[in-house]
Amino acid sequence: MNSTDHHLNLFPPLIQAGHTKQFIQSGKTLLSAQSPLNQSYAVFPSARNDVRSIKSSGVEEQPIFFASTETSPSSERRLFIGDTSIIFAALQNLTNTAQSRGQEWLHSQETHNVIRKLTLDYVNFTRECWIHTSQTSVQSQSSPQFSGDHYRSLYTCLALFAVLYVPEYGYEDAPVGDDLMEWLNVHFIEPSTEEGDHLSGLDRPWEDETFWPYLVRVTLRGLSKAATFFLATLSSHPSDNLRRLAQQLSPLLQSQPHLQSFEAERDFAYASHRWKDKVKALRIELDSVSESDRHDGIENWWDRLSDIVGILEGRSEVIRRVCEDLGADWREISVSWGVFADARLRRQDLPEVVSQILDDMPQDPTNLEDMVHAALFSGDPAKALSHAAQLDPWLAAHMADLMQALSLIERDANEDSGLNIRDFYVLGYAQYLHADPALWRITVAYMFSCGETGVRSADEVLMHVPLKLRFVGSITHGQGEQSNAENIKSGDLAGVVKDINATCYEYQREEVRRTICRIAAQTFVQEKEYGLALSYSSSAEDWTGLGRVVDRVLQEYITAGPEQFTRYVSGIAPSLQALRMQSGAQGVFIHRLMFAVRYAEFHQRLGNRDLQDAAWDLVSMFQDGLAPKSWWAVLLCDSQQLLQHDAALLFPYASACILLQRLEEVIARTDQGSGDEYLRVLISKFGSGGTTEALHALQCVRLALAKYFSRCTMIGTGGKQILERKFIAAV
Amino acid sequence: MIQTGLIQSAHNDLVTDVAYDFYGLRLATCSIDQRIKVWQVDESNGNWNVEDDWKAHDATVSKLSWAHPEFGTILASASFDRTVKIWEQTSFASAADSQPNGAGAGSPQAASGGSSRWVERAVLVDARGTVRAVEFAPHHFGLKLATVSSDNHVRIYECLEQSSLATWQLSEEVDVSTLPSVSLSSSYSVAFATPTQTSATLEGASATLVAQALQQSQNPTTQGRPGLGNREADGGWCISWCKERYWGEIIAAGCGISGAIKIIQLSPSRRPTTLLTLDPSPSPVGLPAEAATSLASDGDTPTPFAITSVAWAPSCGRSYHLIATGGRDGHVRIWRVKPAEEELDVEGEGGDLKWSASVVADFDHHKSAVGRVEWNITGTVLSSAGNDGRVRLWKATIGNVWRPAGSIGVEQSEDTQDADVNMSENAIAE
Repeated sequence: MNSTDHHLNLFPPLIQAGHTKQFIQSGKTLLSAQSPLNQSYAVFPSARNDVRSIKSSGVEEQPIFFASTETSPSSERRLFIGDTSIIFAALQNLTNTAQSRGQEWLHSQETHNVIRKLTLDYVNFTRECWIHTSQTSVQSQSSPQFSGDHYRSLYTCLALFAVLYVPEYGYEDAPVGDDLMEWLNVHFIEPSTEEGDHLSGLDRPWEDETFWPYLVRVTLRGLSKAATFFLATLSSHPSDNLRRLAQQLSPLLQSQPHLQSFEAERDFAYASHRWKDKVKALRIELDSVSESDRHDGIENWWDRLSDIVGILEGRSEVIRRVCEDLGADWREISVSWGVFADARLRRQDLPEVVSQILDDMPQDPTNLEDMVHAALFSGDPAKALSHAAQLDPWLAAHMADLMQALSLIERDANEDSGLNIRDFYVLGYAQYLHADPALWRITVAYMFSCGETGVRSADEVLMHVPLKLRFVGSITHGQGEQSNAENIKSGDLAGVVKDINATCYEYQREEVRRTICRIAAQTFVQEKEYGLALSYSSSAEDWTGLGRVVDRVLQEYITAGPEQFTRYVSGIAPSLQALRMQSGAQGVFIHRLMFAVRYAEFHQRLGNRDLQDAAWDLVSMFQDGLAPKSWWAVLLCDSQQLLQHDAALLFPYASACILLQRLEEVIARTDQGSGDEYLRVLISKFGSGGTTEALHALQCVRLALAKYFSRCTMIGTGGKQILERKFIAAV
Repeated sequence: MIQTGLIQSAHNDLVTDVAYDFYGLRLATCSIDQRIKVWQVDESNGNWNVEDDWKAHDATVSKLSWAHPEFGTILASASFDRTVKIWEQTSFASAADSQPNGAGAGSPQAASGGSSRWVERAVLVDARGTVRAVEFAPHHFGLKLATVSSDNHVRIYECLEQSSLATWQLSEEVDVSTLPSVSLSSSYSVAFATPTQTSATLEGASATLVAQALQQSQNPTTQGRPGLGNREADGGWCISWCKERYWGEIIAAGCGISGAIKIIQLSPSRRPTTLLTLDPSPSPVGLPAEAATSLASDGDTPTPFAITSVAWAPSCGRSYHLIATGGRDGHVRIWRVKPAEEELDVEGEGGDLKWSASVVADFDHHKSAVGRVEWNITGTVLSSAGNDGRVRLWKATIGNVWRPAGSIGVEQSEDTQDADVNMSENAIAE
């Protein structure tokens, strides 16, 4: 399943088999682009950059192919990935605690028991998944992504790992034979039940050619019940000797001591010794059978019975020969060794025994499961991981994680890569997960457990998670996402953004969170959701960005007019309150936001014919220094209709003076060549040919002001202010 | 490795570049047909549908680059018409207000039913040759981009007004071919000096300049295809930004046929300086002798060749940088670049901060010119594409040794049964 050294030819082919040269000579080459979304590539024929002329490709099609190094996980696989990630998280918790509590604690009984439990959880999950996949693939015709057999191989590897490396606390140094035999019998069932059924249906089973091999095999596997059952059928065998010997053999098989039944290993060793003596006695009796009675006309039963006794005696040459005859592999020899040849075989002695066996009967290099088993038997966890990674990156990652917790592998980082063994495989698995963008939460969880490199890789993945904020013009999305988008737009922090935010908080990735908020703000600006854009900008503490949002809102006044503008501002006004409360918020941008809000209020009053207040607003925007210089001209033009209002004088004399002051400044500075600074907004409001129009408009304002002042004088409203003004000027 | 999709016909002529957006949900493509198309993936079935399609330039569009999404939906296109254009996607409503320069002209947007439009925001016209590459700077440096063109220049532009995208200031203009190599830079650069490994390349560099001039005089430009613009044999080829913020603005650029990449530091207060030259000849550093064989080395003077693609890997917390190069010599190289470390016991060296580099992988599997190298987002998988019609992937092993990790081709499979790929064809409504 892994991608190493695989070659994929895309369809439809562009090059006939063996004709690559022609393709290149026609001036073409192949280029590619990597997708940041998953482990996929866009591949396309292109023009060679070292050829001066390209033969016109004319009517040819210009395809773009898409290929992925990994198959996106199917639902059953996703379930498996999700469920096992919970166990991974539990172990992660444990090792994190160990960091604070010290390494001794990691090696305590309490911790060991937890690690053992988690290991067995993995074993059970792979088992469940194997059963489930095997069943569903039988029921439905569509084959699942990974066959039941694939999960079976994960199951056997993990179970073996558990037996060899995660024994019960205190049993590390106990004989391992019985445990291994149980493992072998669970995972590699021999002889088959069908054979047994077939034989038990026969009157004289020993006449069947499968009888003796069957009996030898069940003995080898320690299946004493099946063995005694068929030994009992020999009670009707014509040979007296065989009948007698079979009768004696049965109790021996049943009484073979097993470690589990003893309190202390010493007792077990003693019992084994005594049992071996009984086997020896049987051998003597067997040898006394005369040559003439050793054959029943069908088979030399004596040889077969001798093999069985030979196994019980633990004769290595017999075990090897029998296994070879039965077609059993190195595993069966190794395991039976630990049961019969050396019942006290310990875990640490196993590699030596296994290496001798593998010399004669090597593992199958094309079978990765076999290779993992062999490495585990040989006491080489690191090698087991490298094979496991090829079998399934899942297996390598989780086994490596356990191995590090159990101090089975080097904890120090490789000097060149900066990664230790565990992190290498866990990151490899995370990369595999990245093939499915929907699994980003799990992907980053694994990455975050892998030191600085892991953390920074997770940052990259987090930042590239599609936010799904934009729905205008996008192609059909699921119902769920649609309502999700509604939630986001109604102001709730929901969906993916909320999840990413939470993840960033959890792992303290503030930089990433801010970047994502900035992106969200930008997206909302494009969607004209200015209120949301503002809250994301402030969440990112991106004050320049906040300023740009306000600029965009102000821009709306120029492009869409006052009504639209007022509507948009009503969306951002609530943020102003919140921002004022925030101490970190930077003044200048808040200032601009305040201006936008006040300016919108002004237009609202204007729209409602609330002219007196509108006039007051206008002047106070100047007075409070809220209006940016580039907006002065616009404000002055707005004042024109208020100045020309016939029913009443809307501006007090002093206010009118302020207007005049500002007008003079704009005109004077424009004459001095700073027109761009002062007239920019007004010009863009007028569109093409803006400069002349803008200057003309300002002249109109000046005229209106002049008229207004003359009205003031006639009506005499200005007297008091004039006095005041003179007074101020004198001071 | 499986095929996951197909666009049967993307353009009316050869596609020159394909660029995924930040999220990998959209694809911008450009072609010799002078057009840009933007595609969006339908996540329910993996099909790619055209969203927008417009004539963008007056010659081949050579390269595309998406800006970081925090600046909006912005695309830069480089062309053989010597310009770089900045495009922005605006929602339909606001596009009506502004002038859809170029984007409107004869493009079948209405037919494709898109509710968005791309608007030309700026045209950068400083290049005096075909523009071969364009790349936006990492977002933490602001809205900036770099271009490289056949006039040997790398140009850095900075957007002065992000809200309008109209004003781009040419903040740096560097002739890569004449930019002092590291050994010469000491006259005005105190802080950075030549790493000892590369100082020996100076002789070789001037030699290749002569060779370059000779080659140019010997190869009069043959008649090119009309509209392709200049197709100089050399000039600037490729650029790639350093993604890391810590070291400031640094860019790798490949130019001419010296076979070397220059690592250039840009700084507002100083002229651009070369921090390091990545030159595989004459003595590759840190490379096993047998791997160092050049494809066409003839005696002491190696045949000059161009490095046409460079890719700076995201560093993702590693203590070093990885830079991949691909060139006409048929080699894919991975350089491990170690930034200058501030040493506490500064003595004799005058406190010079030295960058150093070594080749950690050198592959000639393509056996022919390598047109492109590219990293994945975590800098763990390198892809390379060559004239052998293959895309090859490379990964590091647990011992940190780079190894082949699969390949993709477009050749007819000998075993046709292999074709039962899970593939959905993408019918395109043109």
